[in-house]
Amino acid sequence: MHSSDNRGSWEFHPEDTLTEDTGNFPSTLAQVNFSGQKKAGSAVDVPGLAYRNEDIMSESWRKHRKHVFVLSEAGKPIYSRYGNEEALSSAMGVMMALVSFVQAGGNMIQSIFSDEHTVVFLQKGPLVFVSVSATRQSEQQLRSELLHVYHQIVSMLTQASINRIFERRKNFDLRRLLFGSEKVLDGLLDVMDSDPSFFLSAVQCLPLPSSSRDALSHILQKAITPDLVFSFLISNNRLVSVVQEKTVLEDARLKPSDLHLLFNLIRVSAFQAGEIWTPICLPLFNPDCYFYAYVAYLDPPECTVCLVLLSTDKEAFYAVAECKRKIEEAFASQNALQWVANTQLYYVNDIGVANLKHFLYKPSKVLDHYRQMPQFTCPEMEVGYRSQQERIRLLDLYRNMYNRIHCSSRPLKLIYHSAGKETLLAWVTSKFEMFACFTPLVTKKSAISELTKLLRWLKKEEDRLFICQLPRYSTALHPGRSSTDRPNTSDTGLFSLL
Amino acid sequence: MLMISPRMASGMQEKQYAPSLLSFFIYNPKFGPREGEEEKKILFYHPIEIEKNEKIRNVGLCEAIVQFTRTFCPTKPARSLHTQKNRQFFHEPEENYWMVMVVRNPMVEKPNKDGKPPTAEYQEEEIIDSVYGSVLKQCYSMYKLFNGTFIRAFEAGGVELLTQKLEKFFYRYLQTLHLQSCDLLDVFGGISFFPLDKMTYLKIQSFVNRVEESLSLVKYTAFLYNDQLIWSGLEQDDMRILYKYLTTSLFPRHTEPELAGRDSPLRPEVAGNLLHYGRFLTGPANLKDPDAKFRFPKIFVNTEDSYEELHLIVYKAMSAAVCFMVNAAVDMSREFCEQLDSLVGPQLTLLASDICEQYNINRRISGPEKEPQFKFIYFNHMNLAEKSTIHMRKTASVSLTSVHPDLMKILGDINCDFARVDEDEEIIVKAMTDYWVVGKKSDQRELYVILNQKNANLIEVNEEVKRLCATQFNNIFFLD
Repeated sequence: MHSSDNRGSWEFHPEDTLTEDTGNFPSTLAQVNFSGQKKAGSAVDVPGLAYRNEDIMSESWRKHRKHVFVLSEAGKPIYSRYGNEEALSSAMGVMMALVSFVQAGGNMIQSIFSDEHTVVFLQKGPLVFVSVSATRQSEQQLRSELLHVYHQIVSMLTQASINRIFERRKNFDLRRLLFGSEKVLDGLLDVMDSDPSFFLSAVQCLPLPSSSRDALSHILQKAITPDLVFSFLISNNRLVSVVQEKTVLEDARLKPSDLHLLFNLIRVSAFQAGEIWTPICLPLFNPDCYFYAYVAYLDPPECTVCLVLLSTDKEAFYAVAECKRKIEEAFASQNALQWVANTQLYYVNDIGVANLKHFLYKPSKVLDHYRQMPQFTCPEMEVGYRSQQERIRLLDLYRNMYNRIHCSSRPLKLIYHSAGKETLLAWVTSKFEMFACFTPLVTKKSAISELTKLLRWLKKEEDRLFICQLPRYSTALHPGRSSTDRPNTSDTGLFSLL
Repeated sequence: MLMISPRMASGMQEKQYAPSLLSFFIYNPKFGPREGEEEKKILFYHPIEIEKNEKIRNVGLCEAIVQFTRTFCPTKPARSLHTQKNRQFFHEPEENYWMVMVVRNPMVEKPNKDGKPPTAEYQEEEIIDSVYGSVLKQCYSMYKLFNGTFIRAFEAGGVELLTQKLEKFFYRYLQTLHLQSCDLLDVFGGISFFPLDKMTYLKIQSFVNRVEESLSLVKYTAFLYNDQLIWSGLEQDDMRILYKYLTTSLFPRHTEPELAGRDSPLRPEVAGNLLHYGRFLTGPANLKDPDAKFRFPKIFVNTEDSYEELHLIVYKAMSAAVCFMVNAAVDMSREFCEQLDSLVGPQLTLLASDICEQYNINRRISGPEKEPQFKFIYFNHMNLAEKSTIHMRKTASVSLTSVHPDLMKILGDINCDFARVDEDEEIIVKAMTDYWVVGKKSDQRELYVILNQKNANLIEVNEEVKRLCATQFNNIFFLD
């Protein structure tokens, strides 16, 4: 009865999801104490500008959990997570030398392993990314994190621009265009550690009765304007509703990775009142052109419900702002904000499975066209995992299992790991992926029976936990413009607060 | 090494290449610190045909990588470099002396239409770092067993002597590496122990004591039966590399004649001695010939403290083999050998047949030896005891496994996961082929079981393994 289902034709999703936030919108991380205090040797780093000028010769610099460096093919420094990248220019020169040397032999450098660290290299076009990590994550995962960093940069500049710039001038200093955006990359790296959306390549939704969600989507569906392509409602870092333009759905789909880039940009801009109108490129959707994002909170000053409208028309601010007004009106008249506010995030205790401490559940089919938007759900953390350090430790364990179970050369169907602090289970079938964490002394019998109970509960609550439909609208695109072929490179990616 | 698998009916074939040794070199950066002196750093380089500048560049890359990783952790620099086409392993066995082994990644060559050259697809994940890292370490251990440390060689005769020794040893040793069949057992580097009852064990102990008392020159002794160890007076690390040498090199070379029939020309001359079956495997092949010159191999043990150089005398009677180690300063005379032969020969012959008899009795009692039900590998870190029912008879070159190589790699993965923490753990996985693999770690012992029970569930698998533990490992507590 408990034999695992045959996975059938198992598909590997190569997309790299960018995460949704942990904490509230805007992220508490962005508002954290900037004194840069950090426990020595801890697994978690407190972010902040203090790290911009950290002394790279110091012990504490060496001991960071994960360094990320971005440089150009010419060896010019572009970004370093810790420490001033200018001070690191000779170290970056060495990194580039390693890359070039191996390349000269018709080969490609991938990684270096030592007892304590893993160094992973990634080259995308003219940019080189290096991660030096003490986390013992797999090479594949570290590389996918670097890919996210690349995509975040693309989201600000577009791939076409980057390639063109370096084609013309190999020595170009990309920091000129990225000035002020370090916090975007810092924010991304911080959140990647503690949010499972990344390695799961999926999006987490706010649990909501489907009738409420449909009503909200309906409101969004009605408030449209030409060239509008996506409308999102976000709350508590979870997706509440997403509505898409019809033809867009046919051409290409919005990947979770792009969504997370968007969320990160919004979170890092840390605004509360007012609106944002900013260009943003969605790299997996189309890496060479910009969308224009209108972002506003529908409930200042609490700022828990965020509206994002994406348009392909740079000049459409007023039209899009008008959509927001219509939405606000409809919300007010139906008291829709209450539905969102009344939502209860759930805990493991609510499910009634005694030994279960936490889980991640990613179904393969919730939407009619299930590949439209991979989703996952997980309960709020139990007491034992509330600290950042424990949370990251648990996610490290999940990440390791994910890596083993999805290993491209020897994938597995099931892993059951009894360890000192917890017992973990990873299970992949054609219908879902499940990662569960039990108390350490649970018996296999109990674990299996609780898992069954959990799966039943998830099935029952499916409508509420996941977005099961992606409603669409139809907005006539301006003649002569299409979302897929007009690279707009006159914008430099700076936010404009209006 | 090339293995061909037919792919399409059209006759176009996909070629599978196993991992192979690309290069192997040893260098010391202190020997050529200045510009223009780089060549002096290189103490050994295989293949020798490589152009000098390329050797220097490759060594330079290794130095750069080690230096780079030192930026982040000065005491624990790089162990391996992964590139698309190959993998390099680094080992610093003695301060500033670096050994590097470069292995070409296994790959598949897929034929292309229209006469285009075939595309190579590299399979990086097939190589497990811990396995090949251990192989590299073992290269050093084996060298050190027969040559002593690098530092001592350098002290005795400078760079010339050191490079000579390295050349002489590695030129031959590298040819014996079979990288395509390395696996978890290479990580363990364990010793297979021969199971004995107390009485027989005591007989062997007293035999060793008697011989050591009569032949005062003997410093250490080791007793083996059937390629398995029974007793050793050496330190663990020394015994484990000596064991590897005996079982993969010395014994296989000498088994064939023994297996030959009575009238076969291969059968060694029972040189006039009808009293026993003992003979020397190292040293004098024929005691009766007074003019024949002989030599015992020299080995180095306890290199960390007392640093002893010893003659290795290996003496065999039927399936029992004894190693006697004598201080190398002593001159091994023919008289000594004759004395040893007449003392040990008869006793060892008797002992060997005793052991054989006892072993057969035990087997009869415990029941006919059926095909081992469970495929498992067991290793005890404390005494290096290793047992595998997966590996068939180890020959000098290859040890064949009765399970798919992917399963062995899964075992390797589990072993890596175990190595991350000190606590007792258990990992059970179900592979895509529906095989179950169970790994248990308890108190310095590791057990891996492979079950071919496609329709079993987790609980049933657990019961099966419990059964195995009850029969074979009933005095060891494994996590449930």
